[in-house]
Amino acid sequence: MNFGFVLPTAGKESKEVDVLIIGGGPAGLSAGIYATRAGLSAMIVDKGNAGGLAEEAPFVENYLGFKGIKGEDLVKAFKEHAMEYLEISERNEVREIIKDGENYMVKTERGEYKTKGIIFATGTTHKKLNVPGENEFLGKGVSYCVTCDGYFFRGKKVAVIGGGNSGAIAAIYLKDIGVEPVVLEYMPRYMCEKAYQKIIQERDIPYYTNVEVRAIEGKDKVEKIVYLERNSGERKEMNVDGVFIYVGLIPISELARKLGVETDDKGYIKVDLSMRTNVPRVYAAGDVTGYAGQIIIAAGQGAMAALSAYEDIMLR
Amino acid sequence: MAYIRDEDKKYLKGEFEKNLKDEVKLLVFTGDNCQYCGVASAIAAEIAELNSLIKFEEQRIDEDLARKYGLSHAPTVVITDGEKYQGRIRYVGLPSGYEFSSLVEDIMDVSKRSAEVSPEVLEKLMRIDKPVIIQVFVTPTCPYCPGAVRTAHRFAILNENITGEMVEAIEFPEWANKWNVMSVPHIVINEDIQFIGAYPDEQYIDYVLQAYEKMR
Repeated sequence: MNFGFVLPTAGKESKEVDVLIIGGGPAGLSAGIYATRAGLSAMIVDKGNAGGLAEEAPFVENYLGFKGIKGEDLVKAFKEHAMEYLEISERNEVREIIKDGENYMVKTERGEYKTKGIIFATGTTHKKLNVPGENEFLGKGVSYCVTCDGYFFRGKKVAVIGGGNSGAIAAIYLKDIGVEPVVLEYMPRYMCEKAYQKIIQERDIPYYTNVEVRAIEGKDKVEKIVYLERNSGERKEMNVDGVFIYVGLIPISELARKLGVETDDKGYIKVDLSMRTNVPRVYAAGDVTGYAGQIIIAAGQGAMAALSAYEDIMLR
Repeated sequence: MAYIRDEDKKYLKGEFEKNLKDEVKLLVFTGDNCQYCGVASAIAAEIAELNSLIKFEEQRIDEDLARKYGLSHAPTVVITDGEKYQGRIRYVGLPSGYEFSSLVEDIMDVSKRSAEVSPEVLEKLMRIDKPVIIQVFVTPTCPYCPGAVRTAHRFAILNENITGEMVEAIEFPEWANKWNVMSVPHIVINEDIQFIGAYPDEQYIDYVLQAYEKMR
């Protein structure tokens, strides 16, 4: 049995800080440590639990120093490390950010924070597949989180749609807990790291390439998927009890955009190499910048953003 | 064997020191042939050792207090002052993984005899003058679930007509199947209104009101 206890964090009052970090994933936590150590007063607010999407990763095998660790455990270590330095206010969603002269007023669910700088480490959320049946069967076989819902499909067959790293890891996790996954990938080749490809082959997880999923069908719950073999143009069906969708991510950048921060056509926040945005003392780090979607890169960007904030706020 | 790591205990001790005000009872209802009852009691006992305001008691699921609180599954962990909150803030199944943080936060809120919601949500919450039970089905590996559990429990702390009950779906598969739980958090209100996902208080309370209106 898993006793990966997750600890809560406190923090409910409004206050004034040098830099407010929005988002408590690897980027935000790393930014928090660097900012505080540099001498800035900082705090992290997160609309959910600190940890970010990394928390959903069943297994992480490419974070320096760890040959293999559960995403949940890695994030717990990050969080405990950051809590040595600063306050992390969880389940405290930012509602509005108002420019107030040189400062910013950040209004959240539980308080108001006056800050000189903001680091957006808001991350990404799961992208939808946009096929018929996806919304209709949400919670009736369609899911976006294997660690949350995988257990309900033990002994059953499920489709994992999207064969990139997230989809591959999801399929491996499902197989490990006793589910029979089948991966369906749109591109004509493996889209995950070679390391995952190897595990998928070793564990006999079917990985279909060059297929386009067109619909999710069933009566009261998911019963099958309909897909197109892109080579032949042939329409096929596969009976499944569940569908896990891992077709990419979309950035959470609306708050930043409202503040005048530039984003690219996909909504990722534009940053320079020092993680500065076009708005003074507003920075971005981690997946919301659109780079790589890797924990180690997010952590590095968070550190960079904090150091830039230190330069702009303390050394000017 | 200790279930909570020493460094976590140290942290929790500090948090309890800062945040506890009045006595909190941690009641673990156990029964026969119960796989996780021993663990549930052990964890509660370890927590109680961290602060003298936390009192751990083991109770039987087939005795009077359980009947009074309307409990039927073991283990059930109840966090209460023994009076106002009765058995309305509870976990059916082990509060492990992500739910451990919910349990700790509940202990702090119950000790303060209050919980935080916005004035708008509080106004809606206070309209409820008949018993409403909010059941939140979870898995311990779901990072989005504690939000939904804590909302139910905060509502229960603030309104005496509300019961907030976490149900560990993997431990009680038949119960989960009854409501076709396939994604968590899956919330069932008054065994009638259902929704899936971790919603903010504002939307959550509207579902609760919807269930309440249907009773009137």
